[in-house]
Amino acid sequence: MENPILHTSKTYTPEAIHAIQERAELGRYHIRGFGAFRNVPRLDDLVFLTASLTRLPLEGYREKCETKTMLGTRYAKRPIELEIPITIAGMSFGALSRNAKVALGQAATWMGTSTTTGDGGMLAAEREASAQLVYQCLPSRYGFDPKDLKKADAVEIVVGQGAKPGGGGLLLGQKVNQVVAGMRSLPEGVDQRSPCRHPDWIGPDDLRIKIEELREATDWQIPIYVKMGATRVKDDVKLAVKAGADVIVLDGMEGGTAATQSIFQEHVGIPTLPAIVQAVEALKEIGVYGEVQLLVSGGIRSGPDVAKALALGADAVSIGTASLIAMGCNKPIYVEDYHKLGTEPYHCHHCHTGLCPVGIATQEASLMERLPVEEAATHVANYLQAMVMETQAIARACGKSNVHNLEREDLVALTLEASAMAKLPLAGTDFVMGQ
Amino acid sequence: MTDFAVADLTTLTSTSSTPTPSDGSPVDCQPLDCNGLTTREINQALKAIAATGQASVTVLNPTGRHNLAVGLETSMLIRFEGSVGYYCGGLSDHANLDIQGNCGWSVGENLMSGQIIVRGDASANAAATARGGKICVLGNAGARAGISLKGATLIVLGNIGAGSAFMMQQGRMIVCGDAGANLADSIYEGEIFVGGAIASLGADAQVEPLTEADWQMLDRELGDWNVKAQDYAFKKVVCAKQLYNFKPRDFAQENAI
Repeated sequence: MENPILHTSKTYTPEAIHAIQERAELGRYHIRGFGAFRNVPRLDDLVFLTASLTRLPLEGYREKCETKTMLGTRYAKRPIELEIPITIAGMSFGALSRNAKVALGQAATWMGTSTTTGDGGMLAAEREASAQLVYQCLPSRYGFDPKDLKKADAVEIVVGQGAKPGGGGLLLGQKVNQVVAGMRSLPEGVDQRSPCRHPDWIGPDDLRIKIEELREATDWQIPIYVKMGATRVKDDVKLAVKAGADVIVLDGMEGGTAATQSIFQEHVGIPTLPAIVQAVEALKEIGVYGEVQLLVSGGIRSGPDVAKALALGADAVSIGTASLIAMGCNKPIYVEDYHKLGTEPYHCHHCHTGLCPVGIATQEASLMERLPVEEAATHVANYLQAMVMETQAIARACGKSNVHNLEREDLVALTLEASAMAKLPLAGTDFVMGQ
Repeated sequence: MTDFAVADLTTLTSTSSTPTPSDGSPVDCQPLDCNGLTTREINQALKAIAATGQASVTVLNPTGRHNLAVGLETSMLIRFEGSVGYYCGGLSDHANLDIQGNCGWSVGENLMSGQIIVRGDASANAAATARGGKICVLGNAGARAGISLKGATLIVLGNIGAGSAFMMQQGRMIVCGDAGANLADSIYEGEIFVGGAIASLGADAQVEPLTEADWQMLDRELGDWNVKAQDYAFKKVVCAKQLYNFKPRDFAQENAI
């Protein structure tokens, strides 16, 4: 060829062409796991202004830097007391293997934090492994049992999640085996579509009554969280507070899922960064900041992510996908099984297939054996410990003896988008985009 | 809010002064009057009365209050003299409620076992996501009756509203009257018997013929209420199971002559 310049359409990219042709074969929407692939303005776009002459830093390794975190102090007689400001997010037994669920509970217990059930009920082994277990009350109510409710340390009413706010969950038939189907009162092998609305209440005025019901059933002992995917954050947070939530759990669009329409993951909801800012503003506007705690999730991967979320005003963060990656998700082992799924380590998002090469997102006994509980729990606990140390390192460098003392004043934005969303000055300037 | 001490029950119960029937079974204690009590106090009083081994208690002046008798684990008969609000008997195991009036949304929500009788009408979401036991509505039930039903039996002697049995998973509904639009949309399993007209069926629901065993079951269930199944032209609605698994439309088949 004389002039071998390949022209690539910016509209019909190879990915767009593949997506069209895949739908032309399938005749339906594309379903996958993992979460949003697209780039969005994120916590990475903020940096800390640590101490120099105007602020005194604390010694980085040994000086005291408190990490204790309280959740649910508004109405509950027994608020959740955590040693660290990082919790494990709700992920279902069904989406995850039994070993993965038990390992998460064990790791959370070792680290003095909480873990959360998911769309499929409470596993007895998970309850046993978890010193503090948050029991989700989802639209599906799969396996929801008043007896388990009474064993819970908190209840989380799930209105939505960041990967698919407004959409219900999916669990494809290959993961709906006899045990999972039994726990969910479903036929075995069905492509299970979880409802997107709760069966017994509809709007925020009903939610207020639902919350009272859960409190009556638990003798007003345990906190009630309300979890939402980040969309109209300000209004949603205010309505959840009015309905009586002790804790707002806000999941940004980077949040993960084991299976949903890819269009939801890429095109629905707002990123975690602006979601935190909007939620904190909403709590302050109605005068409950500090009284109602804010737990945020969606793409939290590292100590800096935790520190930035806290500095923006969150009380704690929740990790889901990252905890699975810590235990081996996308690890370059059993590579031939990644290839069978048509993917590679570091790129796998095939949670929906139930053929997870590392035994996490599967119900196949032979695959689950690849995930020894204690080793998985150790990896998750190590990762949590490392994130806590990173968070403390940043807090100390900012001169804070408590990670919760990190504040907006410690941050600046690297991009105009982040400046506008976080309402923080662009680094090295006095300019705040939009103000 | 004032904490309701169990000791205060002496003002509500007076078992010692109540004559004992000849068979020695426990008798009804003094009625529990909701007037002047918070919902918290009413529910705590019901738990305390149940703990004394009482067979039954009458609750006066419920006045449509929400969240009465929720989260109970007792088979003590609780008789409500009047109408109740949302979630009556919700999140309960071994419930035994007799509501002598109407009830608000989500009566018997997530019920595990036992029986709830509603002598008047039930509002929306009756028996929502109930996993076991029986809920009998002697009047009509509103929209979304039996939504997400997971194994319980819901009997309605009157009509049911639109969107009933939405995403039902297991269990049985028996409705003597008419069913509103979109009955049994997206159900997984379970069966619905409708004695009157069905305004329309939802996605993946279909009518199938009743078996002899079905008629016997209907006779048995309705006999408790002196209703004869044969007086109604019952239709049986079940899942067509065409949407159990994702599959593309077959355009060639759809357009075949």
